[in-house]
Amino acid sequence: MNDFFFGVYPYIALSVFFVGSWIRYDREQYTWKADSSQLMSGKDMVLASNLFHIGIIGIFCGHFIGLLMPHAFWEAIALSSLGKQYIAMIGGGILGITCMIGGVMLMNRRLTNPRVRAVSRTSDIFILGLLLVTLAFGLMTTLVSAGHAAEGDAEVMMTLAAWAKSIVLLSPQPELVASVELVFAIHLVFGMTIFVVFPFTRLVHVWSFPFTYVGRAYQIVRSKRRKPVDVDI
Amino acid sequence: MSHLLDRLKYFSHTRETFSNGHGIVTNEDRKWEDSYRNRWRFDKIVRSTHGVNCTGGCSWKIHVKNGMVAFEMQQTDYPETRPDLPNHEPRGCQRGASFSWYLYSPHRIKYPMVRGRLLELYRGERANKDPIEAWGAIQTNPEKRASYTGVRGLGGFVRGNWDEVKEMIAAANIYTIKTHGPDRIFGFSPIPAMSMLSYAAGSRYLSLIGAACGSFYDWYCDLPVASPQVWGEQTDVPESADWYNSTYLIVCGANLPMTRTPDAHFAIETRYKGTKVVSMAPDYAEYVKFADLWMPVKQGTDAAAFMAMGHVALKEFHVEKEDPYFSEYVRKYTDMPIQVTLRKHGDHYVSDRCLRASDFDKSLGEKNNPEWKTIVFDEKTKKFVAPNGSIGFRWGEDGRWNLLPRNGKAAKDEILAELTCVGRSDDVVSVGFPHFTPGEDDLLFRNIPVRKVKTVDGEVLVTSVYDLMVAQYGIDRGLGDKTATGYDDASVAYTPAWAEKVTGVKQADLILTGREFADNASKTKGKSMIILGAAINHWYHNDMNYRGIMNLLHMCGCVGQSGGGWAHYVGQEKLRPQAGWAPIAFALDWMRPPRHMASTTYWYFHTDQWRYERVTGDSLLATTAKGKYKGYTMADYNVVAQRLGWMPSAPHFNQNPINVVKDAEAAGATDEAGVAKHMIERLKSGDLAFAYEDIDAPENHPRNLFVWRSNLIGCSAKGHEYFLKHLLGAQNGVMTEGVEGAACKEVKWHEKAPTGKLDLMVDINFRMNSTGAHSDIILPTATWYEKNDLNTTDMHPFIHPLSEAVDPAWEAKSDWNIFKELAETFSKLSETHLPGVTKDVVALPMQHDSAQAMAQPFGHVHDWKKGDCEPIQGKTLPLLKVVERTYADTYKKFIALGPMLEKLGNTIKGIEWDTKDEYEALKLHNGTIKLEGVSKGMPSLEDVVHACDAVMRLAPETNGEVAHKAWKAQGKKTGIDHNHLCDARRDEVITFKDIQVQPRKIITAPTWSGIESHHVSYNAGYTNIHEHIPFRTLTGRAHFYMDHEWMLDFGEGFCVYRPGLDMMNTNVVQAIKNKKHVKLNWITPHSKWGIHSTYQDTARMLTLFRGGPYIWVSETDAKTAGLEDNDWIEAINENGATMARCIVSQRIPEGMAMMYHAQEKNVNVPGSNSTGKRGGILNSVTRVVVKPTHMIGGYAQFSYGFNYYGPVGSNRDEFVIIHKIEDKDIDWLERPLTPEREKQLNPPGINN
Repeated sequence: MNDFFFGVYPYIALSVFFVGSWIRYDREQYTWKADSSQLMSGKDMVLASNLFHIGIIGIFCGHFIGLLMPHAFWEAIALSSLGKQYIAMIGGGILGITCMIGGVMLMNRRLTNPRVRAVSRTSDIFILGLLLVTLAFGLMTTLVSAGHAAEGDAEVMMTLAAWAKSIVLLSPQPELVASVELVFAIHLVFGMTIFVVFPFTRLVHVWSFPFTYVGRAYQIVRSKRRKPVDVDI
Repeated sequence: MSHLLDRLKYFSHTRETFSNGHGIVTNEDRKWEDSYRNRWRFDKIVRSTHGVNCTGGCSWKIHVKNGMVAFEMQQTDYPETRPDLPNHEPRGCQRGASFSWYLYSPHRIKYPMVRGRLLELYRGERANKDPIEAWGAIQTNPEKRASYTGVRGLGGFVRGNWDEVKEMIAAANIYTIKTHGPDRIFGFSPIPAMSMLSYAAGSRYLSLIGAACGSFYDWYCDLPVASPQVWGEQTDVPESADWYNSTYLIVCGANLPMTRTPDAHFAIETRYKGTKVVSMAPDYAEYVKFADLWMPVKQGTDAAAFMAMGHVALKEFHVEKEDPYFSEYVRKYTDMPIQVTLRKHGDHYVSDRCLRASDFDKSLGEKNNPEWKTIVFDEKTKKFVAPNGSIGFRWGEDGRWNLLPRNGKAAKDEILAELTCVGRSDDVVSVGFPHFTPGEDDLLFRNIPVRKVKTVDGEVLVTSVYDLMVAQYGIDRGLGDKTATGYDDASVAYTPAWAEKVTGVKQADLILTGREFADNASKTKGKSMIILGAAINHWYHNDMNYRGIMNLLHMCGCVGQSGGGWAHYVGQEKLRPQAGWAPIAFALDWMRPPRHMASTTYWYFHTDQWRYERVTGDSLLATTAKGKYKGYTMADYNVVAQRLGWMPSAPHFNQNPINVVKDAEAAGATDEAGVAKHMIERLKSGDLAFAYEDIDAPENHPRNLFVWRSNLIGCSAKGHEYFLKHLLGAQNGVMTEGVEGAACKEVKWHEKAPTGKLDLMVDINFRMNSTGAHSDIILPTATWYEKNDLNTTDMHPFIHPLSEAVDPAWEAKSDWNIFKELAETFSKLSETHLPGVTKDVVALPMQHDSAQAMAQPFGHVHDWKKGDCEPIQGKTLPLLKVVERTYADTYKKFIALGPMLEKLGNTIKGIEWDTKDEYEALKLHNGTIKLEGVSKGMPSLEDVVHACDAVMRLAPETNGEVAHKAWKAQGKKTGIDHNHLCDARRDEVITFKDIQVQPRKIITAPTWSGIESHHVSYNAGYTNIHEHIPFRTLTGRAHFYMDHEWMLDFGEGFCVYRPGLDMMNTNVVQAIKNKKHVKLNWITPHSKWGIHSTYQDTARMLTLFRGGPYIWVSETDAKTAGLEDNDWIEAINENGATMARCIVSQRIPEGMAMMYHAQEKNVNVPGSNSTGKRGGILNSVTRVVVKPTHMIGGYAQFSYGFNYYGPVGSNRDEFVIIHKIEDKDIDWLERPLTPEREKQLNPPGINN
C-alpha cells in the first residue's frame, strides 16, 4: 500500500500529467483554455480570483523550492533546517490561508450563483473541490509541523524532501513516507491526484502562462514557409 | 506535426527581423488557420430570403454544411434593370445576415407545445369523451377554463405531440363552429408578400371553414389612409431604383439607411449626379447625415410644414405665374377643375358635395350612373360637361373610363377644363374652411368666386376645387378677404411664417424648399420626389400629414413621373402576383366570398379598448358639421359603419350565422335572396342584431385565434395590456377601471368587463416570443431556410423564392403542411360533428373596385336604423351572401385548385379574364388529385411548390399570356389599347424552378399602376398619367377634395393641419407625480438592431446594443427627471407601464421619448413596480383610437377593401410619464407562481 502510493503512484501521476498534457495540447487545441466564468458574473471576482491565484501560485513555488532545492543550497546560504521549516510554515500558512479564502469564495460563487452554476461542468466543481481538500490537508500539516518545530525538530521535513528527491532521481524510497504522520501522507496522495486529473480539466491553462508577451516584437509576421520554387522552362 | 514540439522550438521561430527589430518574421506552425478556413467551407448553396416584414426582399445564399445551415451571404445575381442605373446588389443587411442563428437558437420552437394545465384538462376529459365533447366540457366549465387562461404568459408549457395537438385544435374549431359560429374563429397573419404561401396556407384553411382573416396593413398603421382617399389605391410606390432618377428629394419619416438598408444606396448615389436631398426629422436621424438641408420639425406637425411648402408652390407656380406643365397636369389628372357646390352655413357658405351630371336637366345626356359623373366647366364650349374618367363611366358602360381630356369617345369631344372662374364669376361669396389649430379661429373665411347653376333642385353656387383650395392655402388673389400679406404673415394659416410657429422649421427653409421643389419639377416635368414613412404615418391624423405631401406633389405634377412622386415605405410590401395568389389564399377557387375583417376595429372592440375611450367624436367635428351623429363615441361610429355596409364585422351577428340560415330556411326561404329577406326583417325588428352592438356579450366573443408569421402580442398589439386583460384574461398592467365606454349610444354597456374571451390561442412560430408565451398551443414551423415559398417587394421588380435549404429541424413543419394536416384532421372529425352541407351567411361590405362602390350617391349618409331609409343589402346594408361548406371535404379542397377558377375566371381591380388555359396547364404541370372525392382530377396543390407554381401560372406578373388577357380587359374599359406594355413578354411563363436559379423581373400587369420596362423604373401612378387609366376614385382623378358627408363633418374635405390627439391618459399614479419625472411624447420608430421583434433578441444584435430594452431621451428631459445614461426607467400612463434602460442622447429633441419598436419582454426585462407585472413592451403604454373618417364606405374610393381601407391603429399621439427606478428597486419577479400571485391578474387596486 505504502509502496504503491509513494513508490508507483508518483510515476503514474507524472506520466499522466506530462503525456496527457502533451496529447491534449496537440489534439485538442480548442479545449486548451481557462474556461473563465467571469463573463457570467463579475461579482467579487477581483477579490476571490486574486486571493486564490496569488495563494496557489505561491504555494506551488514554495513546494517546488522547498522540496526539490538541493540541501547544499540551504547550507550555502547558511539557513538551518529549522529556519527553513519556519519559513515554510509561516509563508505556506499565509499563502495557504489566502488561497483558502479565495477558493472558498470561488466555490461558493460556483455553487450558488445561478448563472455560473448553469455553465459549470462537473469537472469544474470537482477540480476546485479537489484543490480545496488538498489545501485543507496541507494546512493541517502546517499545524503538525508547528508541533515538530516547537520541539526543534526539522526531521520530518527533511524526510519528505528526501522522498521527493528520491522520486525525481528515479530511485523511489516509499519507506520514507511511512515514518511520518498520516496527515502528510494523505496530503501527498491528494496532491499527486491533482497531477493525475490535471490534463482532463481546465487546469491545463497553468501551462500557458503568457511569458512570451514579455519582450515580444511589436509586429509578428508569420511566414508561409514556402521555399522559392525552381521553375524549369 | 506536433504543437508541443513546435512550442519547444520557440527560440528558433524567428527567421528574420525588420524595422530595427520592431517586427519579426516567424516560421511558426499555421495549421490553426485551417479552422478558420473550415468555418467558411460548405456543402451546398441554396437561394432563400427572410420572410420578415422589412420589405427588403433580398435574395440570399444559404450555405449548408453537414446538414446544417452554417451561414448566409448576399446574392449578387439580380438581372440588370436599366443600363444607366446603379446595380441593385448587394442587397441584405446586418439583420438578415444574422438569421441563421435562429435555426439552432434557444428561442427555437422544436416541438408542438401545449399549456400544461390545458393538456391535463383535455386528457382528463378525453378519457371518456370524443374530442369535440371533451373540448366542450372544458369550455363550459368556467373554473376549468380560467385555470389555464389565467396563466397565459407565465410559462407552463409541456411538449405535445402532433397528432394530439392537431386533434385539440380541430376539436376547438368544430366546437366553435357548432356552438358559436365560424365567424368566431379568427386568423391573424401579416404581409403576404414576405412568404406568400405560408400566409395562404392559414388563410386558405380559415377561409374554407368560414373563419375570418384579419387585415394587418391598417392595424399596423402602415396603411396611409390618404392613399385610398386621394387615389383609390391601397398603396403604390416607386421601386427604390427610381430614387436615383429623381433630381430633388425630400425625405421625412423614413430613415433610409436604417430601415431601407439595402436600398439606401440609391438615395446616396443620386446625390453624385447633383440631386439635392432635403431631410425633415425631429431627431438627428441617420438619414439626416446625407442630406443637404435638415429641417428639424416638431414631431407630428409635418402637415403644417408641407402645407406651407404647398403655399409657396401654389402661389409662385399657379397663381402668380401659370406654369404650363403644372397647369396641364392638374387639369387632366387631378380634381382641381372639378366643380363643387356650396352650402349655406349661417351668414357664410361652406363647401359641399361635388356637382354631378344628375344635377342638370336630362343629366347632360348621361343615362348611365349620372349621380356618379362629376362636372367641369369646359373653356372651349363655355359649358358644364361631364368629362371622361369618373366612376360613373367605370361601371355599366365601356370606353369612356379614361383620363383623356374629353367628354366623349371621339377626338372631337376634346375639352379644356377650366381651373378658375376668377374674373368670369357670377359672384364672390365668403366661404368658411374648418380649422383646428389651437388658439386660432375654428373657421377661416375666404372670398371665393362662384358661378350660379340651375340644377334640378334649383339654383346652386358652384366653384372649382382649385378656387377653393387656393383660398384655403391663404393665398391672396385680390378678392378682398383676409389672406396672407406675404410669406412672413404668421397670422394667416399655412404661410411659411405660420408654419414656423407650429413646426419649428425656419420659414426661410420652408420657402426655399417649397420653391426649389416646384422649380425642379417644372424644369424636369415632375422629377421631384418625397420619400416618407412610419414616423409621419403612425399618427392619428396621418391622413393629413400625407395629404399635405400629396397636395404638393400634385400641384407640381410629380405623381406618375419617373423620379418623382410619393414614395411611402412602411410595411407596404408588394404582393406582385396578387391576382394569382388571392384565389388560393382565400379559397376563392372553391367558395366566395371569404370573411375578411378590419383588424383595428376587431381589436379595438374585442380587447375592450373602447371601454377606456376618452377621446370623443364631438371633439373632432368641424363646427360646420351636419352632425347627424353628434354625441356619438368612436365605437358608436364604427357600429354605424358596419350596419350601413361600410365596414366588415366578425362576428357578424349576435347569433351563429349557420343558425341564422337555418332559421330563414325554416321560415320558408329557399335561396340566397330569401335568406337575406328574412334576415333583414329580423334585423329591423331587432330579433337579430349586429354583434358589435353588444360586443361584450359572451355570444359575441372571439373564441379561437390563430396567429402565424406574426408576433401579434409582443409587437403590433397597440394596447398590449388590454389584449392581455380582456382578450386573454392574463396578468396585465391596465392602470384604470375603464368606465368611459358607458357613454356609448350604440354599444351595450356591461358594468363588469369581460376578461379572457378566447377559448384557444394558437401560435405558429419558429421562435419563442411574447405571442407564443401567451398562447395555449404553439406549433413549430419551418424557418425561412426550411421551406419553399415566394417573395416580392416593391423596393425592386424581381420575384424570388424562399427555398428549403435544410429540412425543418426537430419536429417543425412548413406552414403549408401544418395547415394541410390540420385540414385533414378537421375533415375527419367533421364527418360526425358537421356532416353534409352547412350553409353559412357572410355579411359583406360594399367592395371597392366593384359597382357596389356606387351604393350611396353624393356621399350622403342614410341610416336605416334611424329611419332615413330602408335596409337594402348592398345599398344601405352589407350584402348577405350564403356560402355552402362541406366541412368533411375541407382537406380535399385544400389540396386542389378548385373549379371556380375554371368556371368564373379570375379578377383583379374590377377587371376580369378567363383562366381555362392556365387551369388546364396546371393539371399537367402539377399533376392532378388522385384521391377519390370532390377534387379528384383537379390540379394538385399538395406540395407547396405546386401552390407556388399555381400562383405564378395564374398571375399576369409571372405569365405573359395572362398579362395579355388582363390588359385586353383593362383596355376594353378605358377604350385605349394598353397591350404594348406587356406583349413583348407574352410567351413567358415564370416557374418556381426559374426563380430558384435567378430572381426574375416581373411582367407589367394592370394590377399595378407602374410598369416594368427597360426605359422607365417602376413608379406609382405611371399608367394613370401615361396611359390615361383613371385613378379608382369618384372623379377618376387624384383628389384634393373629398365630399363625403363624414369627411366634411370632420373638417377634412380639404387637407388641414390637425394637432396630435390629446389622449388624456397621464393622470395616473400620484406617487410618481410627487417625485422627479417628465412627461414625454411616446415615439416608437423602427429599430436599427431588429426588424420589428425579429433579430433584436439574437445573440448578435443584443451584443451590438445594450443587450435589452432601452428608451432614448434628450439631455434636457433627462436633467428634469434626474436621469443618467443607462439608468433603469419606467414609462407609465393609464394604459400600463414598461421598463427599460435610459439612453441620454443629443440626438433626441426635447419633449419626446423614443423607444424602438418591438423590443420584447423576453430578454432582460424586469418587473414594473407600478403594475407589479413583467415590465411591458413599447405598446404597454399605448391604446388605439379609431377615426370615423376611416370607416366610410359604399362611396367610390371610400369603399371597403381588405387592407385597403379601414381605421388605422395609430400610436404616436401618446404621452408617458418617465421616472427613474433605483437599481435596488429592480424586481426580476423570479419567484414561483403562488395562488395569491396567480389571482392578482390586475395591477394593485384595479378591480374591474
